[in-house]
Amino acid sequence: MRINNKKDWAIIKNIVCMFPLLFILAMFILHLALPDKTFSKEERRYLAQWPVFHFERVIDGSYETKVESYFSDQFPFRNFWVHIQEGADQILLRK
Amino acid sequence: MVFSSLFFVFAFLPITVILYYSLGKHFRNIILFTASLFFYAWGEPVYVLLMCGSIMINYYICTLLGRDDTSRRKRKFFLIISLVFNLGCLAYFKYFGMILSTIASIGSWSLQAGTPALPIGISFYTFQTLSYVIDVYRGKIKSQKNLILLALYITMFPQLVAGPIVNYADIESQLADRSMTFKKFFSGMRRFLCGLAKKVLLANNIGLLWSEVKAMPGTEISVLMAWAGIIAFALQIYFDFSGYSDMAIGLGRMFGFRFKENFRYPYVSQSISEFWRRWHISLGSWFKEYVYIPLGGSRVGKWKMIRNLFLVWFLTGLWHGASWNFVLWGLYFGTLILIEKLFLQKSMTRWPKAVRHIYLLLFVIIGWVFFEFTNLTDVLSFLRIMFGVGGNALIDNQTIVKLNAYASLYIVCIIAASPWSKKLALFFKRIHADIYRVAVNVYYCVLMFFSTAYMVASTYNPFIYFRF
Repeated sequence: MRINNKKDWAIIKNIVCMFPLLFILAMFILHLALPDKTFSKEERRYLAQWPVFHFERVIDGSYETKVESYFSDQFPFRNFWVHIQEGADQILLRK
Repeated sequence: MVFSSLFFVFAFLPITVILYYSLGKHFRNIILFTASLFFYAWGEPVYVLLMCGSIMINYYICTLLGRDDTSRRKRKFFLIISLVFNLGCLAYFKYFGMILSTIASIGSWSLQAGTPALPIGISFYTFQTLSYVIDVYRGKIKSQKNLILLALYITMFPQLVAGPIVNYADIESQLADRSMTFKKFFSGMRRFLCGLAKKVLLANNIGLLWSEVKAMPGTEISVLMAWAGIIAFALQIYFDFSGYSDMAIGLGRMFGFRFKENFRYPYVSQSISEFWRRWHISLGSWFKEYVYIPLGGSRVGKWKMIRNLFLVWFLTGLWHGASWNFVLWGLYFGTLILIEKLFLQKSMTRWPKAVRHIYLLLFVIIGWVFFEFTNLTDVLSFLRIMFGVGGNALIDNQTIVKLNAYASLYIVCIIAASPWSKKLALFFKRIHADIYRVAVNVYYCVLMFFSTAYMVASTYNPFIYFRF
């Protein structure tokens, strides 16, 4: 029984260690699963969409930049994260 | 792609990790190499060809160097070809504009030519390639027969764009075969998170203060503000650079590699020479091994030693950027180290610890002024403010407001830049091992959480002039 407990404990510890990785994977999956938004009320602007593939744009690097802004604009719970950052800034920097 | 971007952390990294660990041992190097090429091509879709070309040329040269029947003269010839090619690429892509404008200003000509854009990471991968070629020439290592493994060594994305400069000899055996364990993976993951937090939580935020100070007109900066600003810059550059190194070391470990440390709490040093043994260690040891010692190092006459020292520091400065202020910055440290070597070495040991520490910090912080301003007149005018020569106020209201706002961040940064926090954690581990384990896990989750928030918020970009 004790051995089993130890084993369970080890498994729990490993899972806890994995939290950051699980978090990254979860966000990645959510990113793929959640539907893309077109407009952000908070930011009062249209959000970036998945860019159309053009060979020339890949070569001059603008395609890659657009994919990155698509990725950050459509990031799951984007407004939540921004609020967290604003709160942290207020506490830490008293802004 | 930079490590501290959402796309890297939440897309590139999970995909690479999953492919790397799921497709079996034989594919690991291929996957890491492909991922690295993709990583580099993402930011440099054209220059990736330059890097591949450079790898193939150096691979071929080293195969010739590695043959037993190559005569000594031929070996020397091949080495020179490789040096000319690698340093030539670096000179053309990094320093062409600087050389041109220097020549133009000396002769007061107007020289105009298209200067090439700087390929990301060229300074790092050129130095790695050179260390490989020179070590093969010296017979210290055997040439790598497998092109993919050599290419993996050069392109490996953890250290490709911002170091550390990994010597081939250090990871030769790991390239072909490396052990990967659960424990290693997660310690690497944690190291990566530390670096990420250093970059997005500390460096970026303390850097805001410096950019505010820098944007102020020179007459409005009070003396205290100037010091607060440049200290903020000193902290920013440390967390930025050491954060990148931590991320690189952590990522390397996640894929089974062991890289050497690149920073060891440089700001706790007690002398300039010690500072440089703790700051960007891989660059310092590169110059020592491939420039300073081949020239005779310190085992030559006094004048030759001084020449060697200044040559190394000239190059160290120049390596940091294609601008003369970096050279000046390098020579500044060269001079200080020479003074320490010749005059202070014995008497310094008798100074109180606090005095040595203040001496170190003072000179390093002054050094950052040379590093940050590309223009010599800006450097001098900022130094004048710092030392109260310009007639600026000692302290003003704005300074008090800013210092008050940034006080807690300063404290966090100073603690994070010193080994005390680690010592405290280890002390705690000894008394309460179980609580320590839980606390560490929570700590990394918190780092992950806030780093994500700050990364997302950095792309938050409200459109202010919005009209229907």
